Amino acid sequence: MGRSSYYHPDTMALHSGYVPESDYGSRAVPIYQTTSYVFDSVDDASSLFNVEQGGHIYSRISNPTVAVLEQRLAALEGGSGAICTASGMSALFTTFITLCSAGDHIVSSGQIYGSTATLLRHTLKRLGIETTFVSINDQGALEGAIRANTKMVFCESIGNPGLEVANLPQINSIASQYGLPVVVDATFAPPGLCNTIESGANVVVHSATKWIGGHGAAVGGVVIDGGNFDWEASGRFPELTEPYEPFHGIKFWEEFGPNALAMKIRAESMRDIGACMSPNNAFLLLQGIETLNMRMKQHIANTKDMVQWLQSQEQVTWVNHPDLPSNPSNVIARELFPNGAGSMLCFGVVGGRAGGGAFIDSLKLASNLANVGDSRTLVLHPGSTTHSRLTHDAMVAAGISEDLIRVSVGIEGIKDIQADFANGLRAAQHVAESQS
Amino acid sequence: MKLMVNGYEAHVATGGKKFEKNLPTVLFLHGSGLDHRSWALQTRWFAYNGFGVLAPDFPGHSLSKGAPCVTIEDSGKWLADFLDAMGVREAHVVGHSQGFLSALELSKLRPTALKSLIGVGTAAAIPVNPMLIETAGRSPMKAADLMLQWGFGHQTQMGVSATPGMQPIAIGRQIMGNNPLAIDLQCCADYWGGVDAVGLVTAPSAMILAGQDKMTPIKAGLAIADHLQAKLVVLKDYGHMLPIEAPKQVLVALREFILSVEKQIGASSSS
Ligand SMILES: Cc1ncc(COP(=O)(O)O)c(C=O)c1O
Repeated sequence: MGRSSYYHPDTMALHSGYVPESDYGSRAVPIYQTTSYVFDSVDDASSLFNVEQGGHIYSRISNPTVAVLEQRLAALEGGSGAICTASGMSALFTTFITLCSAGDHIVSSGQIYGSTATLLRHTLKRLGIETTFVSINDQGALEGAIRANTKMVFCESIGNPGLEVANLPQINSIASQYGLPVVVDATFAPPGLCNTIESGANVVVHSATKWIGGHGAAVGGVVIDGGNFDWEASGRFPELTEPYEPFHGIKFWEEFGPNALAMKIRAESMRDIGACMSPNNAFLLLQGIETLNMRMKQHIANTKDMVQWLQSQEQVTWVNHPDLPSNPSNVIARELFPNGAGSMLCFGVVGGRAGGGAFIDSLKLASNLANVGDSRTLVLHPGSTTHSRLTHDAMVAAGISEDLIRVSVGIEGIKDIQADFANGLRAAQHVAESQS
Repeated sequence: MKLMVNGYEAHVATGGKKFEKNLPTVLFLHGSGLDHRSWALQTRWFAYNGFGVLAPDFPGHSLSKGAPCVTIEDSGKWLADFLDAMGVREAHVVGHSQGFLSALELSKLRPTALKSLIGVGTAAAIPVNPMLIETAGRSPMKAADLMLQWGFGHQTQMGVSATPGMQPIAIGRQIMGNNPLAIDLQCCADYWGGVDAVGLVTAPSAMILAGQDKMTPIKAGLAIADHLQAKLVVLKDYGHMLPIEAPKQVLVALREFILSVEKQIGASSSS
């Protein structure tokens, strides 16, 4: 169970991690645009380097503005600590590389973001870390893939592109039998939509670039330590339980317990890999978080309307959203996302691959781009962009149909989004008619 | 490190360095439901600056095995046995909250074992609402939630942390929610020997108290400081969980006091 604050999430979103500082009383979180911090004395410096006291040394490792964002995100997710990184991808890489070494193995959901799949399938493989991909809600497949050298079960809370909600309680009950942590990329389910840690995650990763920031202005990521995994009882993590030579043989678990992972990431990954977030980006992301809960309500309301509206359009061949009974994970989606399972939806249009392309090209309000989670409505037609070189059969194998349109529903006036989509659907209709 | 005390394995943190018996020892004692990690940001400094550090988990807490002590008197006896097992004859004894009550009992049993006595966020008696003990018996997590709301001061409630990126409430919750909190609270509620024990203390003493302490209100701590003629440090902007909330200020106060006692000992032994 996660809990880091006793304030309402709306209050945490505005306040957690910062009280007006004493010098000037700045109400907004100040941007500490600095690389480094003057030590009080030689003794002070040496005790900071030796983790004898908390504090900032160098902005690659930690920065006061970034720390406010970290503490706010940890509070919102109910984690014991958080480390912000330069991007969602670096948050994922940092997590994998902190918990896995050459010779180790990961069990991952097959339905994940393309770059994450490539990281696991190719880049980490090159470093000697292997991944087995499974259908994450298939208990037998998940259990069957676990090996003696497995270090984690990884999934996205809402998988990409099939919008399948991961059954986190079930995944946790299997993983915990084997002493494995459940690492969840919750990018599509920002804090407030789902209690990711309480539902079964031990480590939560976000691309803060998306809904958390919300304004499409800054790239960033975060790793949140759930604080709820016993690294020693697991027996699989000498990285956290045995002496760590570069820090005078510190044993992270013994020394820090519930925030052992966050402290290890700070001490090792931020120091050696250095994928740190800039204070300016932390500030922009903090501005986003302040209104995250309000925005999510509007995202969800618009998504519900769009799902209904699309279902009633004759040019729409199918609609997928986890809240629809036709989605295979609908039952668990309702349980984990009582207010609505996010603002991503997919649908198919008449006219196949060409129809999808025509739909996108005639939109004026929605933006055709490779991002999600902006306050503005974003669309993508994989068949004519990211997957345009794939054959029909290869696309089916990737779980993407040629007519699939992916929508990240924004918070514009719903009638305006619908009017824009109505234009697109008419264009798809023309294509379909010309084909017949 | 691990060692056997009364037939059970005990875990004792040594500040990240091997414990050296021939250095002056500082013994850190955690409060109700907590463990050695409350002292993470004080113990390392002492260990790396000329002291031997011992921060045990009391029996049945976190990494120590065995049944939890059911009275403060028992925990005082356990401390005496623990020091014997370590081969330590005297130490500066630092107790947070309930840990200070155990230190008082140790002092009663072994007055010469204390080079100095330091209370942090504490008093000579810690009365506990029976409803809280009952809640802890049913659900340690629920009781931990109540205690963490009272225990931490305003800044920590607002998610401010001395260690960048961390959330002390969640850390405390994980530790307290999985430890024998109800037994600890009952120990505190049943203990009335503190004032007598304080009267017997001969070692130099200090009290580090919190202005926003709702668990052991500062008035009670001030009375003990007066009684002990202790050196007094009041950190007015913090709550009961001082070692975690204000680690640097607590370290500075401990450091100054313990170094001054060591200096006096050095001066009197050379004169
Ligand atoms: C689910 C998911 N995880 C991770 C990422 C990577 O995040 P970033 O672009 O911030 O590196 C993305 C980006 O699209 C994503 O959708």
